[in-house]
Amino acid sequence: MRNAQVVPGALLAVLVLAFPYLVNGYWLTVGVLALFYAIVAASWALLAGQTGQFSFGHMAFVSLGAYTSGLLVMDLGVPIPLGWAAGVVLCAVVGAGIGYIGLRMRGPYLALFTVAFSEVLRIIFVSENEVTGGSGGLEVTPLFHTRSDAPYYYLGLMLLAIALGLMVWLTRSRWGLFFRAIRENEEAAAAAGVKVVRFRVLAFAIASSFAGLAGGFYGHYIGILTPDIGSVDQMGLVVAMAVIGGAESLFAATVGALLCEALVEALRSYGEWRLVLFGALLLLTIRFARNGLLALGFAGVKRLTIARAPANVAP
Amino acid sequence: MTAPVLIEARGLTKRFGGIVAVNGLDLAVRQGELVGLIGPNGSGKTTTINMLTGHLAPAAGHILVHDAPADGLSASQFAVRKVGRTFQITQLFSRMTVLENMLVPGLARPHSTWAEATATARRHLDFLKLSHLEDLQARNLSGGQQKLLELGRALMLDPEILFLDEPFAGVNPFLRDEIIVLIQTLHGQGRSFVVVDHDIEAIQRLVKRLVVMARGAKIADGTVDEVRQDQEVLRAYAGV
Amino acid sequence: MSDYLLIQALNGLVIGVIYAVIACGLTVIFSILKIVNFAHGEIYMMGGYFGYFAISLLGIPPLPAVLVAMAASFLLAVLVERTLLTPIYKPSTERKGDYGILVTFGLSIFLRNIALIIFGPYPLRPPSFWQGALVVGDLVMTWDRVFAAGAGITILVGLVLFMNRTIWGEALNAVSQSRESAAIVGINDQRFYMLAFGIGSALAGGAGALVGPIYSLSPSMGLMPDTQAFAIVILGGMGSVSGSIIAGLLIGLSESMFVAVFPDPSRSLTYAQAFSLLVLMIVLLVRPTGLFGRVHTQME
Repeated sequence: MRNAQVVPGALLAVLVLAFPYLVNGYWLTVGVLALFYAIVAASWALLAGQTGQFSFGHMAFVSLGAYTSGLLVMDLGVPIPLGWAAGVVLCAVVGAGIGYIGLRMRGPYLALFTVAFSEVLRIIFVSENEVTGGSGGLEVTPLFHTRSDAPYYYLGLMLLAIALGLMVWLTRSRWGLFFRAIRENEEAAAAAGVKVVRFRVLAFAIASSFAGLAGGFYGHYIGILTPDIGSVDQMGLVVAMAVIGGAESLFAATVGALLCEALVEALRSYGEWRLVLFGALLLLTIRFARNGLLALGFAGVKRLTIARAPANVAP
Repeated sequence: MTAPVLIEARGLTKRFGGIVAVNGLDLAVRQGELVGLIGPNGSGKTTTINMLTGHLAPAAGHILVHDAPADGLSASQFAVRKVGRTFQITQLFSRMTVLENMLVPGLARPHSTWAEATATARRHLDFLKLSHLEDLQARNLSGGQQKLLELGRALMLDPEILFLDEPFAGVNPFLRDEIIVLIQTLHGQGRSFVVVDHDIEAIQRLVKRLVVMARGAKIADGTVDEVRQDQEVLRAYAGV
Repeated sequence: MSDYLLIQALNGLVIGVIYAVIACGLTVIFSILKIVNFAHGEIYMMGGYFGYFAISLLGIPPLPAVLVAMAASFLLAVLVERTLLTPIYKPSTERKGDYGILVTFGLSIFLRNIALIIFGPYPLRPPSFWQGALVVGDLVMTWDRVFAAGAGITILVGLVLFMNRTIWGEALNAVSQSRESAAIVGINDQRFYMLAFGIGSALAGGAGALVGPIYSLSPSMGLMPDTQAFAIVILGGMGSVSGSIIAGLLIGLSESMFVAVFPDPSRSLTYAQAFSLLVLMIVLLVRPTGLFGRVHTQME
């Protein structure tokens, strides 16, 4: 049985690693962006799916990480790795703050609060255009000075692997158990001895730092940064990616992001219609397949394989 | 040679808007006691439990655990101090398995390991006759099984004192007898209990000491016989 | 100088009336369906476009077009409610709060992008209700604004009368206070949710149609009201129509005065947008039950 899984797995790994050499420059860019969105979507899923805290301010942290790094590098001459790290740390701190403030707010109110926070940040970035370049854009030093995007791809892949690795390890540890307990029933979790405050804030801090990490990557890849990356529409895209994939599984959210980004680009010829399609897909998924389409797919595959399995498997 | 006081409420008060739910309650529970807490609806029993387990902050008064001040502590801090509780409406981690429900409090204890916590969890599940349901999601359990699981979850704290909020509510007579036996066994093992319920018959079979609350205040505190003859108690239940 | 402030204040009150209409719509929806509707601003936007096309395609005069816009918004809302919101009433739906957040957030994205395709990204300006301006002494206000305020006040009065003097309104009040009790006395839940969502959305759509000639229409015009309406609803005490009216006027006035007195004119407009967002954040933090809060703030 294991052989049947090893071969496709190895094939997938080869395809993933050889991707830059298999596609043209345009699709390589799509690949890099897909990796970016995957990190963002997975970290959002960590917060929403694992701890049940729906934050619509996630993209604000992406833009915060991007602008922090960009401004430190451009205006203060800080080397990129340092600026990038500073962005991540800032996001962790602010994220913890938002998480702490959000403690007294139940689900939908937290969502509202984070939307407001996200918009306020975006407005500040737009208004203070002398510092941030506003809507005109901020030029940011790229990480690599190569003609091909291949180095970005591999870096992104590594970052995604590290991010996913850390987050999955987290969810499988006792901390993950506590997160899910908080998600299921906060009062019961407290009665069970879980330090709810600590873990809710921690989840926010961790998710926000990964968003900041992705943001720094994005800024130093794209080369020109606008406040739009923190807009509600971008947040909606990420939410769609995670939910369509499956918000309660980090893997599903990641794959959801990769597939959605690929789909967005593949349908480029349809112009604005593809966003409508995504919106519709998101609504359909929420309405009829709350655990996500990928989760639905896995369940379907499981049912098919169980149907073929011998009858001595216990129900 | 009286037993030490495990938990004590002094002048405990709680207001909701204009209503005084609990009014200056004094209550002390000693080690080894099995106390019943009864009273008409709205007498403040659940509010009292919520305050004594950290789920609600008192408006006035003091709480002591092992003679140490416990004012303002959170629910998880009470749990660490070995004060356990169950809820009126079972509060489980619905989409987590029975074992995971037990592991949450098990692993929340400082210096716990997965191996220890799992072994302890299985031991308690065995005691509660829920072992065969280990991998089932909590939401798929029957109502009675859910009540038992919640008790098991509280046991994982290795509690010195357990507040049970209406453990017999909506429970069939067989399960009720089982729960009574479980509580008596646990009590025999050294755990103390405060049991709130409306099932007076079950309470009388179980407890030696009965505390009666009405309209936020304690109106009787003594043996079952003493309380049964107390005029004020009769009046309270008659709604006079 | 004080004329400028007075005009700003009056404009602020006009826009405050509009805010109040939008917020009252949200209050009705919130207090009865008990969901945080992230798509309310998008219904407001659609209302604006409905009004515009009622005028340009159907030749309806501007003022009746507002009523058409309200009716169309009502129908759109009923469609949305029947297709997307029914799980909220079923006991089998888990985590209703999460569902409400996701489905209305998704809806707002969907509507915004559909509007972008159908109506295009460029602002459209519907024809004025009445050309010219009202001049009283040194004060000037366009007739459009006067009409918007007047129509808005009429709508609000109509709403208050409906809620307090008609059977349907009283039934809605009953459902908002206790679903279970209302069901026991025979008030059929499902139709009332539809009615509530429809009325709330009609209010938003009407506001959009009123605002069209003043500020023009664009697909993203609903983004601000999405969160702003909540600032007002929560400030006014969720579930309180009168609270929403007062809070709406307050916010409109304050925003206007903020722009008037903000020292840096190049930033005053953009930061004015942040004003109500900050109000929302502060109210959520400090006093979630708002100024006139009612007790039934439980959400599923």
